[in-house]
Amino acid sequence: MGVITYDYDAAEGRVVIDEHKGHPGIRSTTYSYAKINDEMLAMLEMPHPSYLLLLLGFVSALGLGAICLSIQVDVGIGYSGISHPIGWGFYITNFVFWIGIGHAGTLISAVFYLTRAPWRTAIYRAAEAMTVFGVMTAGLFPLLHTGRPWLAYWLIPYPNERMLWVNFKSPLLWDVFAVTTYLTVSVLFFMLGLIPDMAILRDEAFRKGKKLKGLLYTLMALNWRGTNHQWVHYMRGYLIFAALATPLVFSVHSIVSWDFAMSSVPGWHTTIFAPYFVAGAIFSGLAMVMTVLIPVRVVFGLEGYITDHVIQSVCRVIIFTSIIVGYAYGTEFFIGYYSGSPYERAIFYYRPFGDMTSWTLLGDHNVTFPQIAFWLMVFCNVIAPIPLWRWKVRNNLVAVWIICGLINVGMWFERFNIVGSSLQHEYNPASWGEYWPTIVETGITIGSFGFFFTLFTLFAKALPPMAIMELKEGTKPPLQNPPKEH
Amino acid sequence: MSRFRGVWGTFAHLDATTDTIEQVRDKGVQPTVLSPCPRHEIDHALGDPQSIVPWVGLAFGALGTLIGFAFPAWTASDWVLPVSGKSIVAIPPFAVIGFELTILFAAIHTLIGLSLLAVYDSFKYPIPAAVKRYLRFQRDRFGVVVRCDSAQAEEFAEILRRNGAEEVHVEND
Repeated sequence: MGVITYDYDAAEGRVVIDEHKGHPGIRSTTYSYAKINDEMLAMLEMPHPSYLLLLLGFVSALGLGAICLSIQVDVGIGYSGISHPIGWGFYITNFVFWIGIGHAGTLISAVFYLTRAPWRTAIYRAAEAMTVFGVMTAGLFPLLHTGRPWLAYWLIPYPNERMLWVNFKSPLLWDVFAVTTYLTVSVLFFMLGLIPDMAILRDEAFRKGKKLKGLLYTLMALNWRGTNHQWVHYMRGYLIFAALATPLVFSVHSIVSWDFAMSSVPGWHTTIFAPYFVAGAIFSGLAMVMTVLIPVRVVFGLEGYITDHVIQSVCRVIIFTSIIVGYAYGTEFFIGYYSGSPYERAIFYYRPFGDMTSWTLLGDHNVTFPQIAFWLMVFCNVIAPIPLWRWKVRNNLVAVWIICGLINVGMWFERFNIVGSSLQHEYNPASWGEYWPTIVETGITIGSFGFFFTLFTLFAKALPPMAIMELKEGTKPPLQNPPKEH
Repeated sequence: MSRFRGVWGTFAHLDATTDTIEQVRDKGVQPTVLSPCPRHEIDHALGDPQSIVPWVGLAFGALGTLIGFAFPAWTASDWVLPVSGKSIVAIPPFAVIGFELTILFAAIHTLIGLSLLAVYDSFKYPIPAAVKRYLRFQRDRFGVVVRCDSAQAEEFAEILRRNGAEEVHVEND
């Protein structure tokens, strides 16, 4: 964990990055094209037994989820803890959480591409894969939550014998369009980025005499040759994709938030939800990126690519979004109080302290799931990231990994705090209720993590986890007559 | 694919490649250049070629917007579902669908557009089979392909050699 140095130009008053010398904080920008090729391809060699052991662990979690899922589908939604008045429980919590995890990938690949942040290059492919897998995981939950997933196609507007159309004024249908668009665009963006790298793998496979692999990659490379004609269309197309994905990333979680905000449930019906959800999504997504990529950096020895500068940069965005999230928590409480509505005040008392029977700050001492969720949320999302303000902590991989792990936990509980608590405590005390998840819901939740991490682990060995082409674009080019030093 | 006639060479250095491109263009021929990654120096040497891909994205994005508003409006009129005194054809909720379909249509057709343009260019600017078999253009080498007749071939081959080409091949299929 070395000290990061920059070429600070006092006359210019800023850090000067000379592309012919490479970026001072990212060592891979000084590597040759061949070195980048070889090091990236080495990651795709036969896996170590420990990799297979890790994969087995994730597949086991996935298997547990699959068993619970089959029970849930077979017996019906009554097998979960979801019952009147709590219609949304773990499944919608998981949906919102996984959609949020998917946000970091598009943020890194599209938004930071448009802003020309050089530190994104080494991590964007893996983050983009996380987006695809995160949204795939998220997409399972609304289908499951309907109770009859085999009728999910009813959500699609198509001419049918019932002579009915879907209700385009419903936020739930907006979600169908938002999530399917997001998944489609994310998958296409991901595949677009892979095309030149598939050509690299094709040529390297043929160079090493591996014909079968070469033929497979030939199909995946779509006749990519790297001609200037291909590059000009490709780069313009990539830019357009980034420009399209940027508003999409902000819209998707806004639309997810409107599932709640468009209702008249206390604690949900608030205009802050869209930015609050988006900031939380970026916060949790970046934390997941660090949770996954720090072990990848250590295991594959990628210190030259995922440098301390890259980790520091991600941590800065995490700090920024943590502040927004913390501010949103405070604003929710203030508006709850300032609205003057007894129902709003009641729900914001209930979330941290429980029932208002004794009118003390400790409530009635009967701790329920929302109280646990609330305090875990505050600790993990507001307090735990505070040490990241210190440079030394940001430069300590173990500390960053632990903090990001806590943020993942905190963000899951934040989603539950929103989804679960309000429905337990709506307007009429006669219809209040309590929600505790069943084993099946917990198993499916564990299975969703197994599904996500199984896909990511397979991806890390099957496809280049870093964009080789973009790493080369970011490195100093081979020159016959390098520019003279001033 | 049409037969290729001309010269091609490989280069280890970017500046040697751009010098070659400029000298070939000075002779009135637009070469095809192969590179392991996009480089703006190559684009400048080639005269900053443009792509019509953004126009494809714009056109289909506009179509997506139109469908995104028109389709919900039509379905709402086809199966009227009155809720309180709210409009049957309401713009604010349909704006969400309009936005999503704008992005979706633009993205899908941008990809289709750039793929078709790349296929079209591969017919318009053919490269020899030997270039496809050369396995270092995706790794660390640059290539310059000049389409010309046999009479000019030696002249262009000399330009390539003079600029430090590692290999120079004259193709007369």
